[in-house]
Amino acid sequence: MRIFADLWWFFRQEKWKYLFGIFFLMCSSFLSLMPPYVVGVIVDDIRAQTLTPLLLGKWIVFLILIGIVYYFTGYVWRLLIFGSSIILAQQLRRDLFRHFTKLSPNFYQKKRIGDLMAHATNDINAVQNAAGEGILTLVDSITMGTMVIVTMSVLISWELTLIALIPMPIMTVLTMYYGSLLHKRFGKAQAAFSDLNDKVQENVSGVRVVKAFGEEDAQIGTFRQASKDVVDKNVAVAKIDGLFNPTITLIVACCFFLAIAFGAGRVVDGTLTIGGLTSFTLYLGKLVWPMLAFGWLFNLVERGSASYDRIRNLLAVKPEIVDEEHALRKVPSGDIHYAIHTFSYPGSETVVLQSIDCTVEKGRTLGIVGRTGSGKTTLLRLLLREFDISDGRIEIGGLPIKRTTRDALRSAIGYVPQDHILFSATIAENIAFARPDASRKEIERVARLANIHDDILQFPDGYETVVGERGVTLSGGQKQRVSIARALLADPEILIFDDSLSAVDARTEVAILQALKKERKNKTTLISAHRLSAVEHADLIIVMDEGRIAERGTHRELMKNHGWYAEVYRHQQLESLVLKGGKAVEQ
Amino acid sequence: MNSESDRNSERLSGQHVTKRLLSYLKNHKKGLAAAFVMLFIATAADVLGPIVMKVFIDDYLAPRHFPIGPLVLLAVSFVGLYAISALFHYGQSLLFQKIALRVIQKMRVDVFSKVQHLGLAFFDRTPGGSLVSRITNDTEAIKDLYVSVLSTWVSSGVMMIGIFTGMFFLDVRLAFLCMILMPFILALMWGYRKRSAAVYRVTRVKLSQLNAKLNESLQGMAMIQAMRQEKRLRREFGQINDEHKTAMLKNVRLNSLMLRSAVYSVYLFGLILILSFFGVQSFGGAVQIGVLYAFVNYLDRFFDPINQIMQQLTLFQQATVSAERVFGLLDDERTAPVKKGSATPMIEKGRVEFRNVTFSYDGKTDVLKNISFAAEPGETVALVGHTGSGKSSIINLLMRFYPVRRGGIYIDGEPLDTYADRELRSKVGLVLQDPFLFVGSVADNIRLSHQDMTDEAVRKAAQFVQADHFIEKLPNQYHEQIGERGAAFSSGQRQLLSFARTMAQNPKILVLDEATAHVDTETEEAIQVALEKMRSGRTTIAIAHRLSTIQDADQILVLHRGEIVERGTHQSLLEAKGLYYKMYQLQHGKTVPGRSAAR
Repeated sequence: MRIFADLWWFFRQEKWKYLFGIFFLMCSSFLSLMPPYVVGVIVDDIRAQTLTPLLLGKWIVFLILIGIVYYFTGYVWRLLIFGSSIILAQQLRRDLFRHFTKLSPNFYQKKRIGDLMAHATNDINAVQNAAGEGILTLVDSITMGTMVIVTMSVLISWELTLIALIPMPIMTVLTMYYGSLLHKRFGKAQAAFSDLNDKVQENVSGVRVVKAFGEEDAQIGTFRQASKDVVDKNVAVAKIDGLFNPTITLIVACCFFLAIAFGAGRVVDGTLTIGGLTSFTLYLGKLVWPMLAFGWLFNLVERGSASYDRIRNLLAVKPEIVDEEHALRKVPSGDIHYAIHTFSYPGSETVVLQSIDCTVEKGRTLGIVGRTGSGKTTLLRLLLREFDISDGRIEIGGLPIKRTTRDALRSAIGYVPQDHILFSATIAENIAFARPDASRKEIERVARLANIHDDILQFPDGYETVVGERGVTLSGGQKQRVSIARALLADPEILIFDDSLSAVDARTEVAILQALKKERKNKTTLISAHRLSAVEHADLIIVMDEGRIAERGTHRELMKNHGWYAEVYRHQQLESLVLKGGKAVEQ
Repeated sequence: MNSESDRNSERLSGQHVTKRLLSYLKNHKKGLAAAFVMLFIATAADVLGPIVMKVFIDDYLAPRHFPIGPLVLLAVSFVGLYAISALFHYGQSLLFQKIALRVIQKMRVDVFSKVQHLGLAFFDRTPGGSLVSRITNDTEAIKDLYVSVLSTWVSSGVMMIGIFTGMFFLDVRLAFLCMILMPFILALMWGYRKRSAAVYRVTRVKLSQLNAKLNESLQGMAMIQAMRQEKRLRREFGQINDEHKTAMLKNVRLNSLMLRSAVYSVYLFGLILILSFFGVQSFGGAVQIGVLYAFVNYLDRFFDPINQIMQQLTLFQQATVSAERVFGLLDDERTAPVKKGSATPMIEKGRVEFRNVTFSYDGKTDVLKNISFAAEPGETVALVGHTGSGKSSIINLLMRFYPVRRGGIYIDGEPLDTYADRELRSKVGLVLQDPFLFVGSVADNIRLSHQDMTDEAVRKAAQFVQADHFIEKLPNQYHEQIGERGAAFSSGQRQLLSFARTMAQNPKILVLDEATAHVDTETEEAIQVALEKMRSGRTTIAIAHRLSTIQDADQILVLHRGEIVERGTHQSLLEAKGLYYKMYQLQHGKTVPGRSAAR
């Protein structure tokens, strides 16, 4: 029942809806007690030959009235109670989404998107059920149960009621027991289904590989296995699920049997009429639902609590990166200075960056190269404050980035990530992502800078072409260039290219770099790349190796250094020397 | 915009959905027969219960006549009937559920198998998410239908028939009178089904929009935050969330109007009928109270099945839509190109030839125009060109991902489409730019489905591409589990694994689709060495961004807008000073315009 205490804030918020809802629900329950009574009275009148057409007519009119009022109250309470539960779901979903937007990349690295989706769908559904059906079953089992029992005791006989009810608690206990069993098995069935889903997801994503390696039959085999598992787990559920109805039937039969056996005795000794006995059995039938509801309530509540706990836990996750108190709102500007002693990702022992000391003057270009895993990306992500540095600092214009709000910091930076994320929207909307109000002219301008304009014009609907899941698929290079245009649109002082030219060919790369050079005078650019040509003209190049700066300098200086950079660069150049007919190319 | 593109990419099968759904039951005739027998026994017991009561009331209770023997018999039969009903109801519902689950498993495997044999033309146009949804969620919706149809509707229907039978047995006139209820009930069901269809569809659409938005936002959260668009996304999500809420409320309103409350009204109407009947009868003479009791009792039970059916009507909506989609997928004709003819040629030498191949994905724009070239056994043919020049399309055709309609591709002189899939896939090894890894261990990813491959062979393949260095540094080495899509590995490492995977198959023909694009220069050096080894004795078709990686190719084809504009060796192409020369200059030369300005 803790869930009701947990959700108290919501019940208070919607108190009128709940109060009226419960009131009308109780009215409905009360009204539903009338017809059995009427049946009993009429039976007795028939027996006693005292029924007149007028009397019968009156009762019928009474029943019709009950029908009309019941229909109305039934409509109102459903609307109020179930309607409120839908509003609860909406609010929780909104809060969850809001919270999701505040959480840091580290959170998303640890959690699987699928799980987060499950929280936002299944768990919210379970809570919604607790606030809707849960309230219904709680109110109904208590009020309806009490009312029926009181009516039976007062109108007919409390002794008989007691006797007839003996088996009922067994039903509640059993259904509760089944319920908890069912819950466990259901969980397993869900897990099996989710595995099946993952399997299909993987298969669909990897379709080219599957086809290229002729793995289709093997995939079908594993899928068959996974779907078999789903069947097994669901049969286990069905075995318990199927127990509910027969159990109820049996127990109700016992109640009926007791009621009639003992009731018949009373009819014989004259303390009960046959009409009374008929009403009694009808009331007994009315008790099935409250008893059932009681058992069901526990499951609803249990599931609701577990789900609500998960949602609360999620909402309680503190964003790792928060603005300091009194953080400056001013957009930072100026030289970028890295002074990192050591850095490890949260929860990891491995040192990713060490002794980084490096300054990029405003308006200059920094090139970052080095082998995979040397810390290039980390260096860039730290500037965006996707993670906080505990041992060291990064400054922009002499001000530690921690001192400004993230909002201000990020408005100074344009970011082109390694994996180009586009949204299911038109190309224009994707480019204008950071500035939805940008004009078509501005969008086209940055698209030209990013060398994607011509490609876009060749799409079926030009800039209005929808991309992503439901639209056209862009090539890796096209995605990168859209993502570059997107970053350029905001015209930030600092632009980060995280290996963002890897999928474009050489000619395009040169064109883009040239355009940038011209476009971004007095603006700072940070480029990480595997291909040295992307950073060759940078004002400063640093070569990362195992988290340290192994070499630094301009292209010219680095070439003189005869280190990794020169070696790799020469390697790239070697063939060109030979193949240009042996004609030496000066450095 | 979503629904429109949905319509384009999705094919529905509107015909005979019900018939097809039922045809899946064919394999379960015995089980169904057994379930029906159990159902009939259970229902008969249910129907007999009130009759026993009627006998008790009319023959013994009303005349106050209580002989011990018959009463004990009545009591025993009363309890016995319920016990039989409970037992057989359990049996039938379990059996029906099992059948439903097996049917769905079969359907799932069918759909999945079908998808495996669809061509890439299909995958290009079908969003991955919705495809997954077809195979799992839609079949799940159909499962719900089967389960409810089989275990609830059938048993409810049989129960209703049983109750009417009981009624006719007790009093024919009254039973006929009760038949008046049927049109009301059917009208209610029909009306609800009709109204709920529309409301329900909106709810579903909103839900899927909600989930899509959430999913996409979660995937792109880093971008959203970096671009400071949290507020806007919150607003957009909030709007869909509100629309979803409104749709849900509409649903609740409809249900409140047309479900239980409405059914209860019909129940009251039935009660009035019965009471009036007996009331009027009583004005003329004696009435059998037991019959009245039994009728009221029947009426009580009669509406339970109706409530159950009504509540599950929405399932029917969902399942029909789902079934249309699933069958649409099963009927999709965009299957992968398959072997033609009865000959079983083998790939022995690995000679690849394209003859006048022209190709278009959409049937409108040709992405390849009149492509002809031949790669002799053991030769390396490199494809270079600007993005979108058609390099990848050549590879897609060679891999038989798409059917060739104009021109022909020949391997060892035989048309590509005469080769069996198995032969083609085992002899032509593809390395993609984006190395896709499966969930499982490192070894699993190298071995794939070839369970007979020894650990030694796996290790050798890894060594061959120099992936062994990093694999051996992993805590569990070859048994290290690869997380979701190998996120824990660097792109270079992932690519190395995919190399190993290809080499483990020891293909005759090697197809490299920008295989070195994501490998750092350092690793690439090692890979160049490996590729050299790999290529010896193998025909290689390679796409490369970096011209340095393919300069020892026997033949370089320079593509531009789907045409081969230059061909020759690296040396001859450079001498020709054409497009290739320019590209090479851009990548390697010093005469990049504007470079000096950068200094």
